[in-house]
Amino acid sequence: MYGAVKVDEEKCNGCKVCVFACPDPNVLTLLKTKKITVNQDRCKACGLCASVCPKEALTVN
Amino acid sequence: MSKDFLRISPAFEDIMPAEYRELVASGPYGKGYGISDLGSHKELLEEHPLCAGCGLALSLRLTLSVLPAPEDTVIVGSTGCSALAFPQVALHNIHSLFGNQNAVAAGLKRALKLRFPDKHKDVVVVAGDGATADIGLDMVMQSWFRGELITTIMLDNEAYANTGGQESGMSPKGAVLNMAPKGKKFQKINMPELAREAGCVYVAAVSPANPKRLGKAIRRAILVAREVGPTYVQIFAPCPTNFKFKPQETIKRIKEREKDGTYLTREYISQEAQEYLAAMEGGNKDE
Ligand SMILES: Cc1ncc(C[n+]2csc(CCOP(=O)(O)OP(=O)(O)O)c2C)c(N)n1
Ligand code: SF4
Ligand code: SF4
Ligand code: SF4
Ligand SMILES: [Mg+2]
Repeated sequence: MYGAVKVDEEKCNGCKVCVFACPDPNVLTLLKTKKITVNQDRCKACGLCASVCPKEALTVN
Repeated sequence: MSKDFLRISPAFEDIMPAEYRELVASGPYGKGYGISDLGSHKELLEEHPLCAGCGLALSLRLTLSVLPAPEDTVIVGSTGCSALAFPQVALHNIHSLFGNQNAVAAGLKRALKLRFPDKHKDVVVVAGDGATADIGLDMVMQSWFRGELITTIMLDNEAYANTGGQESGMSPKGAVLNMAPKGKKFQKINMPELAREAGCVYVAAVSPANPKRLGKAIRRAILVAREVGPTYVQIFAPCPTNFKFKPQETIKRIKEREKDGTYLTREYISQEAQEYLAAMEGGNKDE
């Protein structure tokens, strides 16, 4: 139904700023590798995470 | 309270929903988590039907992630958009008749004090601006006059969002909404000032554009309400659907309003609350 956000792992530094900007729970998770992962099924593609990411590591499809 | 009450009987493990099993395995009960722990554990809020980019959903999510003792917290809600999320919240919560939330919370707090005299049971009202500053204002103010030991949190989206966009007392002057096409004629109510004058010993106006500050305010408000007096936190939670801006602009909108001085972040702490917090906060990581 919705699009979803994609993470560019090369750019992500694991700062979690995106995690604190997402209105939906348990969508963005920090992996052990210190990279962000997205639960695509639950992402509503609002783009708030991308609007705050300092590394421009997130894009909305 | 220990985490034991959550544990699943082994015979039922395979039929419990995955979300419940995840909560037992990695939920926040008894852990004392804060904002910085988000993204690393199962949250109390589950998938919800609020709109994409909803500032209210973000504020609620952040609020629930900093409760000092989720297992000993009861949330009292009211009608409005947040009510649509509460069936998905893994906490004790009560849906009260629209506007009655502070009266229900005050009675509940007193009853819990009688039932559990040696324990802190945090009673936290979470309601919209219409419920708090308009239709429930009587109950809100009277609970503050009486010094009830409860926390009142307003999710301020500056409108009656759930009913399609009427102006509320908290809409800014000039606001145009679906059902307020001529623009609002009077000023936004200054609720933080009213709260202070009415007897709240801790008052804060915050926004999800600064999640750590929001978290700190919620935590302080709940701790202070345990012993010192009533507390109030107002969270600016813009609504893209009714104010017709793009969902990715919610945080940008908050920053613009903070910059032009039409939504001020502020905090008031009474002398007694300051002393109480100073004793509580020594060495606590998220404070
Ligand atoms: C006693 C009563 N009066 C009116 C309503 C209709 N009603 C439902 S939600 C709502 C507006 C809620 O506005 P607000 O508290 O700001 O919450 P929001 O939806 O904006 O989050 C109203 C008037 C109702 N449900 N019950
Ligand atoms: S905000 Fe950007 S850089 Fe930071 S964790 Fe999220 S995706 Fe990675
Ligand atoms: S696009 Fe919106 S819903 Fe999806 S991860 Fe980003 S903030 Fe969350
Ligand atoms: S109408 Fe507004 S406040 Fe209600 S869920 Fe949608 S964006 Fe959020
Ligand atoms: Mg509202």
